[in-house]
Amino acid sequence: MYPRYLYGVLTTAFVVVGLYMLFQGEGEAFNVGRFLEEVSPYAWANIGIGLCIGCSTIGAAWGIFLTGSSIVGGGVRAPRIRTKNLISIIFCEVVAIYGVIISIIFSSKLVPVPESQVYTQNNYYTGYALFWGGITVGFCNLICGISVGINGSGAALADAADPSLFVRILVIEIFSSVLGLFGLIVGLLVGGKALDMGAA
Amino acid sequence: MSGAVGREPVFPTRQSLGLMKSKLKGAETGHSLLKRKSEALTKRFREITRRIDEAKRKMGRVMQIAAFSLAEVSYAVGGDIGYQVQESAKQARFRVRAKQENVSGVFLPQFESYTQDGVNDFALTGLGKGGQQIQRCRETYARAVETLVELASLQTAFLILDEVIKVVNRRVLTKSSEHVIIPRTENTIKYINSELDELDREEFYRLKKVSGKKQRDNAAADAEILAARKKAEAEEAAGGVVAAEPETADILGEQEDNDVIF
Amino acid sequence: MEGLFFNVNGGFVEGIVRGYRNSLLTGQNYSNLTQCETIDDVKLQLGPAYGDFLASLPPNPPTSALAGKMTDKLVSEFRYLVAQSVGSTAKFLEYLTYGYMIDNIALLITGTLHERDTRELLERCHPLGWFETLPVLCVATNIEELYNSVLIETPLAPYFKGSLSHQDLDELNIEIVRNTLYKNYLEDFHNFVQTHPDFSGPTQEIMSEILQFEADRRAINITLNSFGTELSKQERRKLYPEFGNLYPEGSLMLSRAEDVEGVALAVSAVSDYKSFFDAVGLSQGGGGLGGMGGGPADGKSLEDLFYQKEMEMSKFVFTRQFTPAVVYAWMKLKEQEIRNVTWISECIAQNQKERIGNFISVF
Repeated sequence: MYPRYLYGVLTTAFVVVGLYMLFQGEGEAFNVGRFLEEVSPYAWANIGIGLCIGCSTIGAAWGIFLTGSSIVGGGVRAPRIRTKNLISIIFCEVVAIYGVIISIIFSSKLVPVPESQVYTQNNYYTGYALFWGGITVGFCNLICGISVGINGSGAALADAADPSLFVRILVIEIFSSVLGLFGLIVGLLVGGKALDMGAA
Repeated sequence: MSGAVGREPVFPTRQSLGLMKSKLKGAETGHSLLKRKSEALTKRFREITRRIDEAKRKMGRVMQIAAFSLAEVSYAVGGDIGYQVQESAKQARFRVRAKQENVSGVFLPQFESYTQDGVNDFALTGLGKGGQQIQRCRETYARAVETLVELASLQTAFLILDEVIKVVNRRVLTKSSEHVIIPRTENTIKYINSELDELDREEFYRLKKVSGKKQRDNAAADAEILAARKKAEAEEAAGGVVAAEPETADILGEQEDNDVIF
Repeated sequence: MEGLFFNVNGGFVEGIVRGYRNSLLTGQNYSNLTQCETIDDVKLQLGPAYGDFLASLPPNPPTSALAGKMTDKLVSEFRYLVAQSVGSTAKFLEYLTYGYMIDNIALLITGTLHERDTRELLERCHPLGWFETLPVLCVATNIEELYNSVLIETPLAPYFKGSLSHQDLDELNIEIVRNTLYKNYLEDFHNFVQTHPDFSGPTQEIMSEILQFEADRRAINITLNSFGTELSKQERRKLYPEFGNLYPEGSLMLSRAEDVEGVALAVSAVSDYKSFFDAVGLSQGGGGLGGMGGGPADGKSLEDLFYQKEMEMSKFVFTRQFTPAVVYAWMKLKEQEIRNVTWISECIAQNQKERIGNFISVF
């Protein structure tokens, strides 16, 4: 109910402000190119790193609660599932670790440089690379975490019902867990080409 | 045997003999009547016993089916409908009529069941689910109750008959029975008869004795008269001597006794 | 999307319910049960599944006591679920208890109408339909007071309002009152799962299927059971839930049905029901035998077939995840299990082994 109403208000506000600026001859204030140029590569890089670790953690946490609540619930009547299904939790946790690894690698590329050397070709590249690399890894991990979480939840309940199902579902779970790995690899490749900040 | 029974304390007279005879006859008639009644009752009793046996077996079967249909209801409805049925029943659909039957003077109550049509108080029970089972169960139970009523009727008859037969048999066996009253009366009659015979004999003897004595006396008197006649003839012949008889002392006479002095 | 958010609130409850489901008796258990010679054997066989609950029973308990203890277990498990659930799941579970509440309130209404001491009735109330303010209803001495307290104190007030007045309680047969309430309840429940945003997805699909089936079943049963009673067609029509596979054409035809054939014709649009009627042979004449259900010809009555179908649907619910509908399905399965065990033990107690297999086992 209320988000839809919010969309309406926001759109109207944007339209009003945009038209106002347009008719006042200030339409050039919307200059995407200049905005991109003016934003510091450090900002891009840090946002990238932040999103990387943040999304990964959210993904991992999401997966863990999805799996965890099912394991806990299923474990009430079938306590044997609790140890085996820790593997689902670990899969989810791995997703966060991917994020941490990438974030550490990325953040090692951040070196303070004098102000005059900030807006260089190299730094732009590094900033964008870290930004998009971080986003790639972050969202990959977010989706992977959720995917593993849902799978893990199913695995836990299936295991509780029929122990022979566990291994089969685990295979599927591994496939979803691999998704995070894809993100990690792509993130490494994207970030690998970027030189350290300020490197000549 | 008859010695143990004794006899009634009556004077052995002809009247009491008549009484006793009628009594004996009455006792014998009563006894045979009672015996016949007892036999009739016993026959009836046996029949009832047989029917009770049948009815009980039938009840066993019917009740089993009924209980099972209740299980079906509880399966279909999945809950307890007892209270609801109990509360929604207002009028009896199944009714019982009582009447009496006379079996050799014994009144036996008989119950007769009939169904009041149109009374259908909990027809809607189980409308949502299980209604059919409930109706079926009701019919089964109606049949079961029918059997129960039949059995109740038989059982009541059984109890009453049992009591009556016991009383009758007791009367047949003890009070009027051939073992007490009839022997006793017979004894009494025998006694009276024997007493009367005795009396008869005594009388006869006495009469005989009396007549014998009379004959002797007569003979003596005749002889005396004859002797007197002869003596008179002789005296007449001897000169009319009157022989004075020696005077016997008159003990109770006026002469005083000499005092006896010791 | 339900996979993303359901587990936040409902994951634990669902896990537990699936655990409960795994402890339902299986075909193997049932075949063991049917081999039993005495109730004690049955008790022994139920030991692993019911454990402590049966421990307090005396040797060779009556079947009703056995069923009572089994229900106790169901109730305690359900109460645990309710205690663990939050948000829309909690609301959903609450809806599940309304059906029992209706029974309880119908009981109290019956008691009040006949001026019994309703406090004694509290013990007879189904524990699942218990709510905190239930004892308050016992204060009412006449039907009007009861009606007002029901409106104020119970969650069922919306079902009374608008369709039943306090005179109705007095005049209508209690079964009609109960079925009216149940109809309102089903409609409300259906509406609830259809419109609640948390239930878009599997819950909606499953529950609307199940509830539609339930609605149809009630409509068919009411029609079949009303033959030969004073329930008029108009009144009958009012008791049909206004949704389901049969609604609206089928319901209309049902409301006009005069006999079993009419019912069979009315439901022929839905292949499932048609096959049921074909199976029990109701559609081929014998209209007067309506009261006899399917007859014991093939051992299955219409009622049995409906139960069978319900059980299958409940079983399939467990193939879906992230939905509170599993709780509903579990409850239905559990109730069926209790009925099954009661049936088996009745058969054993009454030595009627030939029909002992007449229960429904889906696992």
